[in-house]
Amino acid sequence: MRRLAAWVLVAGASVPGRAASLVVEVRDPGGAAVSAAVVYAIPEGRTPLPPPRDAVMDQKDRRFVPHVLAVQTGAAVAFPNSDNVRHQVYSFSPAKKFQLPLYEGTPRKPVVFDKAGVVALGCNIHDRMSAYIVVVDTPHFGVTRDGRTELQDLPAGAYSVRLWFSGMRDEPRPEAVTLAAAERRELKLSTARP
Amino acid sequence: MFRSVQGSWGVLYSMMDAPPGARRLLSLPAVYLCLASAVLADGLQLSGFATVRGATEADGPLEQDQAIARLQVGLDWTSTSPFSFHVHALARTDDTGSERGTVGFPEAYLEANFRSERARLRLRGGGMFLSTSLENVDALWENPYAISSSALNTWFGEELRPVGFDAAYFRSGVMVGATVFRGNDTLGALPPDRGWALHDRWTLLGEKAPVDGEVYTSVSAETDGRLGWSARAGWIGERLTLQYTHFDNRSDGLRYGDLYNWNTRFDIVGVGFTAGPWTFASEGGWGPTYLIARGRRFVSDIRACYALVSRRLPRGRATVRVDSFDDGDASDAALTLAYLYLPRGRLSGGVEFATTGEESRLMLQLRFGFSGP
Repeated sequence: MRRLAAWVLVAGASVPGRAASLVVEVRDPGGAAVSAAVVYAIPEGRTPLPPPRDAVMDQKDRRFVPHVLAVQTGAAVAFPNSDNVRHQVYSFSPAKKFQLPLYEGTPRKPVVFDKAGVVALGCNIHDRMSAYIVVVDTPHFGVTRDGRTELQDLPAGAYSVRLWFSGMRDEPRPEAVTLAAAERRELKLSTARP
Repeated sequence: MFRSVQGSWGVLYSMMDAPPGARRLLSLPAVYLCLASAVLADGLQLSGFATVRGATEADGPLEQDQAIARLQVGLDWTSTSPFSFHVHALARTDDTGSERGTVGFPEAYLEANFRSERARLRLRGGGMFLSTSLENVDALWENPYAISSSALNTWFGEELRPVGFDAAYFRSGVMVGATVFRGNDTLGALPPDRGWALHDRWTLLGEKAPVDGEVYTSVSAETDGRLGWSARAGWIGERLTLQYTHFDNRSDGLRYGDLYNWNTRFDIVGVGFTAGPWTFASEGGWGPTYLIARGRRFVSDIRACYALVSRRLPRGRATVRVDSFDDGDASDAALTLAYLYLPRGRLSGGVEFATTGEESRLMLQLRFGFSGP
């Protein structure tokens, strides 16, 4: 049975065009795992982007959930309010400036993030609420949990792997990675300044 | 911006300084004008709530009208620019012997927000609640945990309303803020003279609220020409909030007609913690307040603190709050149990039982809320 499973695994891996994956570990200069960091892989050359997936930035217990959300450029993000207090969500970031009027429940229209960049969110009523939406020009992205994330379904090819994390002053140097079909590569990134 | 602040205050003060009858006539069209503006103009939004409430009779800290109807409306103008304004209008049936206390504005201010990815600077000019409460955290300074507020925040709602400029800076969880204000000269009259109270009747700008039947307290009257100030600092994390605030109204402690000034210096520490459906909040404040009569200074050391635990439920919220307060001569305590029924939709309800041991009060409330794009 084990032999059969191994054979299936090898045969599957050798199928041309099968997607690769990239397991990324992010650590700070002291070696501690960095959570809520956004890792994204931009394919080299011109690749048409697939339609973006919609996303949700919830508000619960006077916190944004998640604290860091990554979306592809053009994604529509809903901002439901799961609290019994009202929120007034805003962003003055150049990548997306908007204000949602004071509301309960879910606004009828989601917000479309049509420009790549980092969008810092706040609430006019509750000073402690803050969050980030990282808008990237690629469908291949992930947010680290306990310092790790896995980018799946990557077509074989060359990528520039980039990193964003809260409090980042200068972006770490992008990593050039070339993936073969069905390859599963592990990559370590550091938040150290370049 | 300074000119704009002065301009908006000129309009509000001209309404407040008019005779009571004329002012009431003036303030109602102003509310209608606000309503019409919000409907017609982009970026303007109306939100708020109406409540009807019944309460059993109680004296002392739990005294309030037994049947109350209130309408509170927020008019907000926001845009993608850093500038916005907020007007909080209120109409109510309970006047409790006050002057100009039925229809008016608890708050009206202009705001500017400047934000980078990591930091935020917020400037406000106008009349505003001081940004300290860990209990009255909803829009329009509403308490989402119970029907009434703690003794400490009830006092702030009655007597503390900076009319001036406030600056707050936030960076990486650290908050520092400072306020310079006029008015609030009588701040400190209620706890030692009338006594602490637990309710949610906020004094309006321009209102004179009774202290003991002979003298009144006002948040906006400026009688001694001295500016007050406040400073605060804290840690505002996603789950944990720690903050310290000090204010000093720098009042002269003298009597001006039916307004008696109290000089009050007060310190407040607060801690709030949220874990899943549970919220814990506690604030404590203490400080001296004095007035001068017949050349003598009469000092009271007042103190109040509360702790509340609240749990979010699938269709509601349950809260237990314990209050302790001291007016300088005697101390007292109160226990409050509240359940708010919060189904989806605009209508919600609440029931609250409060007791000081000697007096008890049961309240039932129906609330109709409106807001949203």
